[in-house]
Amino acid sequence: MTSQQALSRRGFLKAAGTGAAAVTATCVLAGPTSSALASGPLSDNGWGMLIDVTRCTGCDSCALACKEANGRSNPTVAPSALSSDAYTFIDVRGSAGSAEPLAVKRQCMHCQHPACVSACTVGALTKSADGPVVYDSKKCIGCRYCQYACPFGVPTYDWNNPLGLIHKCQMCVERLAEGEVPACVSSCPAGALRFGRRSDLLVQAHARISSNPGRYVDQVYGEFEAGGTSVLYLAGVPFSQLGLPELGDQTISHYAETVMKKTPVVAASVAALATGLYWLTKRRDLHLSETQVTLPQEDRHDH
Amino acid sequence: MTTNLHVEQPSSSAAVPVLNRRMAMVLLGATVLVGGLAGVIRLLVGMGSTTALTDAYTWGIWIAFDFTLIAFAGAGFTMAGLVHVLHREQYHDAVRPAILAGLAGYVSVLLLLVLDLGRPDRFYNFIIFWNVHSPLFEISFCVLLYTTVLILEVAPFLLERLHLPVTDRLLRLLRGAMPVIAVVGVTLSSLHQSTLGALYLNMPHRLHPLWYTPILPLLFFVSSIMAGLSLATLTYMGSTRILGLPAKREIVTGLPRLAAWVGVFYLALKLGDLLVSGEIALLWSAGAYSFWWWLEVGVGLMIPIALLLIPSLRRRPWVSLAAPMLLLFGVMMNRFNATMFGQILPPGVTYSPSLIEWLSTIGIIGAGVMAWLLGVRFLAIFDSKGSHHG
Repeated sequence: MTSQQALSRRGFLKAAGTGAAAVTATCVLAGPTSSALASGPLSDNGWGMLIDVTRCTGCDSCALACKEANGRSNPTVAPSALSSDAYTFIDVRGSAGSAEPLAVKRQCMHCQHPACVSACTVGALTKSADGPVVYDSKKCIGCRYCQYACPFGVPTYDWNNPLGLIHKCQMCVERLAEGEVPACVSSCPAGALRFGRRSDLLVQAHARISSNPGRYVDQVYGEFEAGGTSVLYLAGVPFSQLGLPELGDQTISHYAETVMKKTPVVAASVAALATGLYWLTKRRDLHLSETQVTLPQEDRHDH
Repeated sequence: MTTNLHVEQPSSSAAVPVLNRRMAMVLLGATVLVGGLAGVIRLLVGMGSTTALTDAYTWGIWIAFDFTLIAFAGAGFTMAGLVHVLHREQYHDAVRPAILAGLAGYVSVLLLLVLDLGRPDRFYNFIIFWNVHSPLFEISFCVLLYTTVLILEVAPFLLERLHLPVTDRLLRLLRGAMPVIAVVGVTLSSLHQSTLGALYLNMPHRLHPLWYTPILPLLFFVSSIMAGLSLATLTYMGSTRILGLPAKREIVTGLPRLAAWVGVFYLALKLGDLLVSGEIALLWSAGAYSFWWWLEVGVGLMIPIALLLIPSLRRRPWVSLAAPMLLLFGVMMNRFNATMFGQILPPGVTYSPSLIEWLSTIGIIGAGVMAWLLGVRFLAIFDSKGSHHG
């Protein structure tokens, strides 16, 4: 009885161990390989936007122009947060150094490797080769995974609609197709917004830093953050004071994508393992029951 | 044979008195009705006014209970794997109550998900539009397929009761296919139980390092086996008690001890991971996060492991009941910590679930429990191969 129990436990632990090993393998393999992750094409030649926080006056023109261009309600009321009614807003932050508060335009960063695109259950979000991260509202099931995958807290859900959808800046793709720049950029009276190819904007940003000593911190936010973003920031104070998250260079979806790519291998391994153990344990059981059956027969012969 | 018990004899502990059973059913029925109403209100009005969810706290108790239920419902694949794949026949009688609980659990999960989806009318879209990089896509697909597997595994419980020529033919067909069905079920479960952990890998900025680790898929997979063995113990004890049958000691002590050994492996992984990443100090320096970790791992893992593995304790009869319950509590806390308490929130963000969220959750779980109880009463929960007939 006890030996049988011990045997069964060993067998079970062995099986559980091998099953776990298959999953472990995928986790370990998730480590070093960072290149060729699948979330969309990476092109420095895509469109981007450079936001110069030192030039922004916080006039809200961009936020109102955005509301109008996207047909949002209350187009004359300046928003104070991202929502299904506001795809961009001016985040006014009190700064430690100066008396004047800082105005930080916030919107979708249009990441080079967007975590929202990687996470979206139905592939409703895609990174276009031209730069914008676009949303196909017809596919969306409203699971809101994108809201948690995004490190910038950008996608918003239309909470008051029983059939609500996700809302976010799409870089005015329709205007881009007609050769125009996004509504926010064309509305800015202060020259704080610049639209162009991401690679050009990076060159210009670094040129501004070097030709204006003391005006900027020596960093272009978005050049490397979370694998790089199409929207870039220049500022005179550290970016953490602007409410922009401190992110490493690693793409957000790195580990998840590497694990997900192993799905077919894990499926095949577990299925093969389970089938093998099925036959192995079945044969042993048959063997046991055969010996159990033959023994009493031999006894009978002896009698 | 079932309705002749006398309520006047409360001392008999062999079976729950019928009146209490009826009261339990009435109570469960009430939660189902109220919860159903709450769910309908949420579907008609939308989530804005009926839930406490916001853009910064977009997943609440619906998701936390969903992932808890999926881990608990791991009882189905764990027991099918143990007995139908690995031929551990001594646990045979515990398989059917566990698989029935698995089906009840997954159906409850699907109902909760419908409430949580922003576009419940498009729930089937993941079948049409694929994103193979998305953990949630893989989970949705596996849950759909595995629920089908569970229906096939539960079907014989009903067919054996019918004794019609058609159902007997169907039964033979299903019995022939059962090894394949079991292997497919174990494979699908291994995939989505681990991918539930991979889901959180897309939130390195949101999940506290006490829980965020690249081995999350492994931790979720191992803990689902632990939860599955624990729930299988309880569903076996419950179903034998409901039917007034003696519970086999071998099962009642054997399954929790298997769970304890899986728990030792799980605990080693969790502690080893924190040691390797150099984050072990967070166990006492992370404030509320440390508290939630200790509630999960101290109360829900270390104590039940000690109860089940210390010789002087494990022979006590109450341990077979208390230890699996504590292990289930630990897995539940883990899923709640990953979804709620372990999340790093933007300043000022709070979440306190609304009445509608609570009522709909309780109602849907109540429906699952009720379906399981009715299944135990009316389906062939101990099949002809079991030894209860003799």
